[in-house]
Amino acid sequence: MTVKQLQKAKSKNIRGLLSTATGCLLGASTVVQAQSEAGWETDVAVLIYNETDRVSAFEPAISFKKTYDDDSVLGIKLVYDALTGASHNGAAVSDEVQTFTRPSGNGSYATQSADVPLDDTFRDSRGSASMNYEQPLNRFDKVIYGGNVSAEHDFTSMSGSVSYLHDLNQRNTTLSAGISFEYDQITPEGGVPVALSEMQVNTNPQVRAEDSETRTMTELLLGVTQVIDRNTLVQMNYGFSQSSGYHSDPYKIVSVLNADGSLDAANGLNGTYIYENRPDSRTKQSLYVKAKRYMQGNIADISYRYMWDDWDVSSHTIDTHYRFNMESNWYIEPHVRYYQQQAAEFYRYSLSNTEVVPEFVSADYRLGDMTAITVGAKLGFKVAGHANSVRLEFYQQSGDETPSEVDSLILQYNYQF
Amino acid sequence: MKFTASLLLLSSILLSGCSSLGVKPWERDILAREDMALDNAPLDSGFDDHIYFSKEASSGGKGFGGGGCGCN
Repeated sequence: MTVKQLQKAKSKNIRGLLSTATGCLLGASTVVQAQSEAGWETDVAVLIYNETDRVSAFEPAISFKKTYDDDSVLGIKLVYDALTGASHNGAAVSDEVQTFTRPSGNGSYATQSADVPLDDTFRDSRGSASMNYEQPLNRFDKVIYGGNVSAEHDFTSMSGSVSYLHDLNQRNTTLSAGISFEYDQITPEGGVPVALSEMQVNTNPQVRAEDSETRTMTELLLGVTQVIDRNTLVQMNYGFSQSSGYHSDPYKIVSVLNADGSLDAANGLNGTYIYENRPDSRTKQSLYVKAKRYMQGNIADISYRYMWDDWDVSSHTIDTHYRFNMESNWYIEPHVRYYQQQAAEFYRYSLSNTEVVPEFVSADYRLGDMTAITVGAKLGFKVAGHANSVRLEFYQQSGDETPSEVDSLILQYNYQF
Repeated sequence: MKFTASLLLLSSILLSGCSSLGVKPWERDILAREDMALDNAPLDSGFDDHIYFSKEASSGGKGFGGGGCGCN
C-alpha cells in the first residue's frame, strides 16, 4: 500500500484504514514467517591462525540453523582444519645442538643451540561435524540435545549431550542442567610410546606399547541466567568434569640433563629424553560468570572464569568485548582477553640425571605457569542485507621459559547468507 | 544433611531474590536484540574455544568444554 493510497483511505474512512493496515501487517508478518520456516539460516566463516615460527591453521566453517513451526530449532555445523608447521616437542633449550627422532621412528631432526626444539613434521587435517536440536516441551521448559564427531589422522572423538532448561519469574530467570559424555581414541604416529621410556636414535627400534589408547569424559553443567533490568543480563555456570584414560601427549618428551644443565648423551642421541607421563584421570571444575549490558546503543560483554583441577592447575580468564554500534548497521567491537594459569603439579621444564624420575612428569609448556593476552577488534557491516564481519586479533603467550613464548595472529572473516 | 539443607536454603533465598529482578514481558525490546544474545557470534566463540583449548590447560565454563582434538 502506497502513502498516497493510505492518505486517500484516511480521508475516506478511519475504520477502513485500520482494518486495511492490520491486514497489511498480518500479511507482512506471514511473509517473514514463511521465509524463515522454509529456509535455513546459513553462516560461513574462515579462520587463519598463525603462530610465529610454529603452527599455522586454516579453518573454514559453515553452520546451518532452522526453526520449525513448533519453535524447535535444529543447528548443524561443519568445520575443517588444515594444520602445518612446527610444535614444541617438550625438550629444554640447550647451548648445544640437539637431535631427535621423529614420532614415526623414521628419520630425525636437529635443533640448533639456543633454539626452541620444534618438531617440524607436524602436519594434520581435522574434520568435525556437530549438531544440536532444541525442543520446547511447554511454555517454560525445553531440552537441547547435542552431538559431535571429529577426526584427524591420529585422533577421533565422539560426544553427546543433553541439557534441560526451565524458565521462571516471568521468564526472567532460566535454570539449566546438562550432562555430556565424550569418547576419544588416540592413535599416535609410530604407536603409543611407553611412558617414561627413553627416546632412541632412529636406527634403533623405539620403545612403543599399543597402537592406540582411549579416554572418556563426563561433564555436568549447571547454570542460572537472570535478567537484571531492561538493559542487563547475567549468566552463572558451574561445571564439573571427570575424565579417565590416556591423558599424555604421545609426542612430548622431557629432557634429562646433567647436574650442570648440559646434555647427557644416550641411546645414540646427544641428549637423554624420556616420553612424558600424565595421570590417567583428571577432575576439573569451573565457575563462570558473564554479564551483558546495553549502554546507550552500545553493548558491553564481560565474563570471568575460574577453573581448577586435581592436577593442581588453576586459571583465571577475563574476557571483555565492547560493541560500538554505528550508523548504517556498522559496528566495531574491540576485544581484550586475559588468561593466567598456575602449573600442573607434575610440570617440569627438565629433569636432572641425579634425581629419581617422578611417576608423573610433563614438560609441555601448556601445563606450566602461563600468562596469555589477546587483543583485537572485529568490524561488522552489511552488504545488500547480508552481515559480514572481519576480526583481527593478536594472541601472546608467555611463561617462565623460552618455549612458552608464543605469538599468534588470528584473522577471521564471517558471512551470513 | 546439614549441608544439603543450607544449600536448599541458600538457593531459595537466591531464587526469591531473583524474583524481584527482571522486566515485564513488554519491556524485552532491548534484551531481544540480536547483539544482546548471550552468544551472539557462535562461530567466533567456537573458533576461540578450539584455539584456547589447544593452547592452554583450561577449557569449558560457558558450555561443555570437551576435547575433540589431539592438539599439538
